Amino acid sequence: MSRIKELQKSLFAGTTSNARQFGMIFTLVAIVLLFQILTDGLTLNSSNLISLVSQYSYILILAIGMLMVIVAGHIDLSVGSIAAFVGIVVARAMQDWSLPWPVAILFGLAVGAAIGVWQGFWVAYIGVPAFIVTLAGMMLFRGGNQFIGSADTIPVPEGFKVIGAGFLPEVGPNTGYNNLTLLLGLLVAVAIVVREWKARRTRREMDADVAPMWISLIRVAVPIAVVLYAAFRFAGGRVGTSFPISGIILGVLVVIYSFITRNTAGGRHIYAVGGNARAAELSGVKLKRVNFLVMMNMSILAALAGMIFVARSAASGPQDGIGWELDAIAAVFIGGAAVSGGLGTISGSIVGGLVMAVLNNGLQLMGVGSDRVQIIKGLVLLLAVALDVYNKNRGRFSVIGSVTRPFRREAPPTGPGSNVETDQEPAKTPVAG
Amino acid sequence: MRKYLARGVAAGAIALLALTACSERSGDGGGEEAGSAKGFAANSLIGVALPAKTSENWVLAGDLFTNGLKEAGFQSDVQYAGATSTVADQQAQISAMVTKGAKVIVIGATDAAQLTTQVEQAKQAGATVIAYDRLIKNTKDVDYYVAYDNFKVGQLQGQALLEGMKAKKPNGPYTIELFSGSPDDNNSGVFFDGAMDVLKKEIDAGNVVVGSGQKEIKQTATDGWKAENAQRRMDSLLTSTYSSKTLDGVLSPNDTLARAILTSVKGAGKPLPVVTGQDSEVESVKSIVAGEQYSTINKDTRNLVKETIEMVKALQAGNDPKTNDTESYNNGVKVVPANLLEPLIVTKKNVVEAYANDPKLAPLTTGAK
Repeated sequence: MSRIKELQKSLFAGTTSNARQFGMIFTLVAIVLLFQILTDGLTLNSSNLISLVSQYSYILILAIGMLMVIVAGHIDLSVGSIAAFVGIVVARAMQDWSLPWPVAILFGLAVGAAIGVWQGFWVAYIGVPAFIVTLAGMMLFRGGNQFIGSADTIPVPEGFKVIGAGFLPEVGPNTGYNNLTLLLGLLVAVAIVVREWKARRTRREMDADVAPMWISLIRVAVPIAVVLYAAFRFAGGRVGTSFPISGIILGVLVVIYSFITRNTAGGRHIYAVGGNARAAELSGVKLKRVNFLVMMNMSILAALAGMIFVARSAASGPQDGIGWELDAIAAVFIGGAAVSGGLGTISGSIVGGLVMAVLNNGLQLMGVGSDRVQIIKGLVLLLAVALDVYNKNRGRFSVIGSVTRPFRREAPPTGPGSNVETDQEPAKTPVAG
Repeated sequence: MRKYLARGVAAGAIALLALTACSERSGDGGGEEAGSAKGFAANSLIGVALPAKTSENWVLAGDLFTNGLKEAGFQSDVQYAGATSTVADQQAQISAMVTKGAKVIVIGATDAAQLTTQVEQAKQAGATVIAYDRLIKNTKDVDYYVAYDNFKVGQLQGQALLEGMKAKKPNGPYTIELFSGSPDDNNSGVFFDGAMDVLKKEIDAGNVVVGSGQKEIKQTATDGWKAENAQRRMDSLLTSTYSSKTLDGVLSPNDTLARAILTSVKGAGKPLPVVTGQDSEVESVKSIVAGEQYSTINKDTRNLVKETIEMVKALQAGNDPKTNDTESYNNGVKVVPANLLEPLIVTKKNVVEAYANDPKLAPLTTGAK
């Protein structure tokens, strides 16, 4: 039993991990393969993968921000409305003031930041629960969207559409594939190798146990195989298509935010605040500032998501953003975040979001109506969280257990059975994608 | 054991994926017969994307499409947008239809201006796009438009409103209120303009007065065609304007809103005004027979779906589908060739004849005469 556990650990996540997270990766692979068979190979068809990414990139961007909000022990219900509000403001600005589109994007982010300051202020400095502040924001900015847009649909110029519906250009020799997409895949593959090599070197320098070479090889080979496969699929779509620009934006954000949440003090403070706010404050974490920044960051990402959706739809409409907050929250919880805060990873949330996305897409390809799709998604959310709770209670596969076990050998146990989420070591989880 | 199992699964998965990995650049739809009218296989997939099931009409249309396309020998994929995230859902559904290789995609748009990317995708994969009932805006990639003549619908509503009020009270001036549909639906404006085409003269002549003074389409709009929004607006109009005045008539663009307006008036305990409608919904036909709602429009969904399927058949055979208006429907980028059907106004007077062929509505009209 323990050998298998250790192998799991070393294969999937260095020293520490989140059981549900790699459980979800397996689920994701299983769902993809299931639908690949059920839809006669349409699921992994190039054009389907491309639309899948561009359809869900904005939800996944929201999930990044939402993960941090939830880890900090809050919730944000206003993201859909903020997205819609920023979308209409930007569309209006380009239409009425003829703002060039790159400036309009910066303007949109600034509006998002301003909204974030507003919400962060109430949450962090006045102490109104985020649930209430963002519930208010949900109404406020939905109304704002309709006020500014006169409840009308406003089209956006061609250039702006790049961030939502754009593709990489076709350059270089005709290889039958989109060359830049292949290059991108290659870069990611190289990054995976460099990362693993660096991790080994660090462990050797620190005189820690270095995993056997074959484990490292598997940990490098499997993701590279997936990345290269994906690169060829994305590059092999219709001429003029490639890995979507919105997907690249998402990828960059995932890398940046994964680094922030795992490897910087500021990022770890979010986990500390969510695990035990009082203890974190006594240890010198600036509680208010963390809460403020987390809420503000969410609004900026919501603004970006809103603009990407508007770009993809070529217009900003009064129905934009309805229900997005729920999709983002569902992605985060399916991806292994704890309802009480203090636990969860960016990559987990992305995987959780992808599970929902593939499920949605696969069912649509099978011609299942959206009514039944919603029922199925609801059940999946419930089961994913219930399974984790059940396993935790049974003492098997527990998230907390798998987090604390590695400390037991070197350090004295950290309070038996206590709430130790805050001690979670920076997880060396390989970033999916 | 588990170690080997896991590795086996992983290896198997990779092998399976590797087998399917090949470029679709050469073979993927786009190349073959993009946009040309050469026809396609008789059992091809036809996609139908409809808005959320908020009105009986869409549900009926969906059933008719499913059966009609099956009878015509096609495979069909009929989808409704979800109740909450309507636009995003419809976008995803259309993309899925393109992936599945649909040859014709019939779209009843949720938001007519937010489908540009998907329609372009469909076009480039070689599918023909037919806008059903609602014209898709701001794109060159929509091929045909099929609908009832909506300007005519508006005109008929305006006329019915005037006639109805005259029948109740021979001499004016008449006090009315105006309602229009959802601002994101291209048709809302067309209905409203049609009705105003008739009413404007009377308003200018002083025979008809808009009690609240709200005559602009922005003021009269009903978000999302939602009954609750119309009811809320009517509630406030009754409070603000009609505490002492009598309301003679209300221009309502469809039946759902008409009933909401009537509910609101009943709730306030006022005498029922003449209220127009559209769509021949069951509850409204009952209401007309009972003498409450004054009129509706019969845009028999059966005919519209039948006409659409005829167009699909023509495309399949490689012919140009029927169109009868190649000038009026400009979507902002191009004029879309349209196939327009003639609507029919229904009041208590002709309700029996109007629904004689409708299996669901005919039994409801027996009490009318």
